[in-house]
Parts: sequence; C-alpha cells; structure tokens
Amino acid sequence: MRSYFSDFPKTALQASYWLFVIYLLLPLALMMAISFKDANFVAFPIDKWTLKWYAQVLQDKQFLEACAYSIFIALMTTLFATIVGVWIALLITTEGMIARSVIFALACLPAVVPGLINAISMRIFIRVLDIPTGTGAIILGHTVHAVPFVVIMVLTRLRSMPNNLVDAARDLGADSFVAFMRVTLPYLAPALAGGMVFCVLTSIDDFVRTFFLGGYQTTLPMLIFAKVQGGMSPEINAIATLVLIVTAAVGLYAEHLTRRSRT
Amino acid sequence: MMVDSSMSDTAKVSPRAGPSYAGWIGKLANSPIYAATIGLIANSRMARLALLLVIPLVWIITLHIGPIYQMARISIMDNYPPAPGGAIYTLDNYRLFFQEPLYFMPFLRSIVFAVCVTATTLVVVYPVAYYVAKVVKPENRTRALLLLLTPFWAGELIRTFSVIMFLANRGAVNVFLREIGFIDRPIILLYNYFSLSFGVIYLISLFMLLPLYSAIEKIPNSLVDAAADLGAGPWQRFRRVILPLSRDGIISGCSLVYLTSIGVFAAPLLLGGPNSTIFPEIIASLFHGSSDKWPEGAAFSILMLAVSLSTVGLFMRVVGGRTVKLM
Repeated sequence: MRSYFSDFPKTALQASYWLFVIYLLLPLALMMAISFKDANFVAFPIDKWTLKWYAQVLQDKQFLEACAYSIFIALMTTLFATIVGVWIALLITTEGMIARSVIFALACLPAVVPGLINAISMRIFIRVLDIPTGTGAIILGHTVHAVPFVVIMVLTRLRSMPNNLVDAARDLGADSFVAFMRVTLPYLAPALAGGMVFCVLTSIDDFVRTFFLGGYQTTLPMLIFAKVQGGMSPEINAIATLVLIVTAAVGLYAEHLTRRSRT
Repeated sequence: MMVDSSMSDTAKVSPRAGPSYAGWIGKLANSPIYAATIGLIANSRMARLALLLVIPLVWIITLHIGPIYQMARISIMDNYPPAPGGAIYTLDNYRLFFQEPLYFMPFLRSIVFAVCVTATTLVVVYPVAYYVAKVVKPENRTRALLLLLTPFWAGELIRTFSVIMFLANRGAVNVFLREIGFIDRPIILLYNYFSLSFGVIYLISLFMLLPLYSAIEKIPNSLVDAAADLGAGPWQRFRRVILPLSRDGIISGCSLVYLTSIGVFAAPLLLGGPNSTIFPEIIASLFHGSSDKWPEGAAFSILMLAVSLSTVGLFMRVVGGRTVKLM
C-alpha cells in the first residue's frame, strides 16, 4: 500500500507518541513503586522494600468503610442514571417528537456545565428544597451528572438499530412494553453495559460534587484528599495503587465490552 | 446475538394463538394485573406518549434547569436565606465582582489559564492522535490507543497525587536530576503555575485525544495521496488537507478541555500555590467556611458559567464557520 502519510516526519511522530505515553505512565508507575517503600515518608530513592503498607491499608477500617460507601453510591447512581438516561433517549428518538434538538441539548446540559458550577448549583438547589446534605444528595448530584453520558451512549446505539425490529415485534402481537423489553433493551445491552461501567467509575472518582453535597461520611476520593492534605505516607500510595488497579481493570473490561458491541 | 435469539423466539409464536412469551416477561405479560396496568398504557397511544413524556421532561426541567435557575435567582438576592421581610432583589453581587480586584483578577487568571492549557494540550496531543490514527497499522491501533487510555481510568485525585510525588522537592524529577549531578538543590516545581498546568493537562488530555483521534482517523488516505500527487509537500498537505479536515475534532476537543480545565477543583487545591489562586477556589470559599456568602458565590458562578459557555460558543463560531450540529 502506497501512502504519502509515511512521508511525514514519522520518527518525530513516533517519538511524540512514546514521550506522551511516558508522560502518562511514569508518574503513576513511580507512585506505585513508592507504595512498596519501607520508610515513613514519601520520597525517592527507595532503599528497602516492604508490603506492610498494603497489610495496614487492608485492615484500615476507615478505608474499607469509605470503599463500601463509595461503591454503594456508585451503584445507586448507575441504577437511576440508566433508567432516566434510557427514558430520555427513547423520548428523543420517538417518531414525530417536536423540539428534539432542544431536548437533547437540555439533556446534555449537566455534562457541559463546568464541574464546579454543576456542584454549586446542586448545593443551592438542595438547600432551596430543604434536602439535607448526605447520601441522598450525593446520589442525586452524581445521577444528574451521569444522565447525559447514558443518553449519548444509548442514542448512538439506537441510531444503528433497524426500525423494523420493533415493528416486527409489534406485528407479531407484542404490545409496546413487551417489544421494548424483548427487542429494544437486549439490543441496547452492550451500550448499557459500557454506560453503566462509565457511571460507576465517574461516580467513584467524583470529588467536587461529593465535596459540596456530602455529609459526615467520607467517600473514597474525600478520604484520599484528606490524607494527601494531611501529610504524606506510603499508605496513601498503597490505597491509590489498589484503587487504580481495580478501576483500571473494570475500565478495560468495559472498553472491551463496548468495543465488541460496535463490530 | 441477543437480538437474534429474541427475534427467533418471537417468530415461533403463531399469530392465531396470540402472543406467548417465555420467561418472566411472559408471566408478567399474561397476568391480569399487567393487562390492567402496563398493558393498558402500552396499548393506548395517548397514555404511552404521556408516560414517555412525563418522566424525562420533569427530570430535565427540575434537575437540569432547576439548579441553574435557583442559582441565578439567589445571585440577585441581597441575602440568603432571605431576611424575614422577604428577599430584596439587587444586582450588587455582580457589581461587587467588577469592583473588587480580589475577585476579578483570579477570574481573569482562570480564563487565561484555561486558554493556555487548552492550546498546549492541542499542540501536545495532536501529533500523538495523528500518529495513532494514521501511522500505526490498523491491527495495532487498538493496542496503541489502550496504552494511552489506561492511565485515565485512575481517578482524578490519584493522578493528582502521583503528579505531586513526581514534582516534589524530593520527588522523582528532582532526585533524578540530583543523581546525574545536574543540580545541587531541588528546583521548586510544585505549588505554582507549572505544577498546576502539568497536573491539569495530565488530568484532561484524554478529552483532547479521543475527538482528535476519531476525526483524523476519518480522513481518507486518498485525499492526502491526491494532494501529494499534485505536488504538495508534507507541510502543505498538513496545512491544506489534514488540518481543515480534522477541524471537528479540534473544535470538540478544545471545547471539552476548556470547559473541564476552567472547572477543575481538586487539582488547584492540591497543586496550586498561594500565587496561583484561580477562580474556582474563590467561589468555593464563599460557600464554605465562616464567611458564608451564598448570593455572591452564586453570582460569581453565573458569571463564570456565562463566560465559559460563551467562549466556547464563540470559538465554535470562529473556528467552525458554521453551526455545529448537536445531533
């Protein structure tokens, strides 16, 4: 294959790619390395190695509670965001729907508004409505932020769905609810799986909304933030490494799922 | 695959016998309660449309527009919670912003910072996206992309933390430079604009990478070949063919990066220093702590929202040259 793309300073492009990979990976790799350091302060070089920080972290009740709390919030967020997101996407794709692009733009609004403004407007909103800060408020805030992403993912998938599938089901006697459950929903499954993992990961990672909407119970990012501000110890590195490995594994799996759905 | 199975199942049903379904959905669909509730709604066009409309519209109006409306309302109050006599509406909070350099300067700094970060990210990421989309062989492309994506699955705080340790006085960079004898004393890399930009670009370059990648990947090789056959050199091919055709990717990548970098919150708290206070920290301080000034905070948030969205709008107009299609 003859391609004039190869005329380009190919080595320079390749170098830029690898430099960028190093830029992205090196800080994380070094952070993981320090989690094995046998000393009480975070600094290079590493003279002695140990696993004691991991042992300590896995017995740290505060850490485990924060994990459980974050996972709970993430799952609730995902549940609500998926239901609402699919619902909005269905409304947008309904035949003869007026003002489609307006609804779509408004549905995407929370994703476009900068994170801090989003969090502050939610904080004001719940105070006006007298909703207390805490678990409910966090879940609400995270859900509002996650809905646009579900809408976009579901819409993308719905657009590739042949119209006649639902029509066929309806012709064969299924009412629209059954047709939705048996035809549309299974067709959406891969997009939904990807969207749900995305919701879980963004919710677990979210700091700014939790910062403004949270109560006394700490989530995982709040805990890491407090520990980083409170002084460094390789214990934070161990926590970060554990969280990183789990989220990266989940993320890669989701990537795999959605990639397969596209082919 | 799942579609196939559901289709073949449905196909087996003979029309005369009426629909019968396997599994829980069949039990549900055939139960009398179903016929009286969901079935009734599903079979009436009006009820179906109402059900389809109500929840999404209520959700969007209350939770997508509601918070911003409330923020705008409180931003023109003189006090929140309002005094017993009822709220007095005023524009003083907005006036305060323009009169007080303490608020005004960080705001300008924030905007300039976000613009610089966006431009730097574009310049740094463009060759990378180009390399993956056009130079890497198609069968290796996924792998090359995944190598770049994986770090982004680590959370915002974890990546910020790793940047702190990378740049600290006894961090990786300084220790390395000292070991090779380049410096005697650590260079101060942390808690200034350098660390802040380094960290923010580290956090958000993905938002630039993905749109650029998908735009560049779509450019047909034949166009570039044609330009080359007509005598265009590498620079001209880039300038006249590739750059204009990747415009959509540049627009969405820059908008995303700009909007994200203007609203970053954790990174400035951890990576910024006293001299690099940017606007998000100012706004947040009005909502927390002893000096609880909600109307001022709301007014500043509205200003920031308006300015950031209108910058993006302007940018899309100028660079896009046409209205960007949302759908």
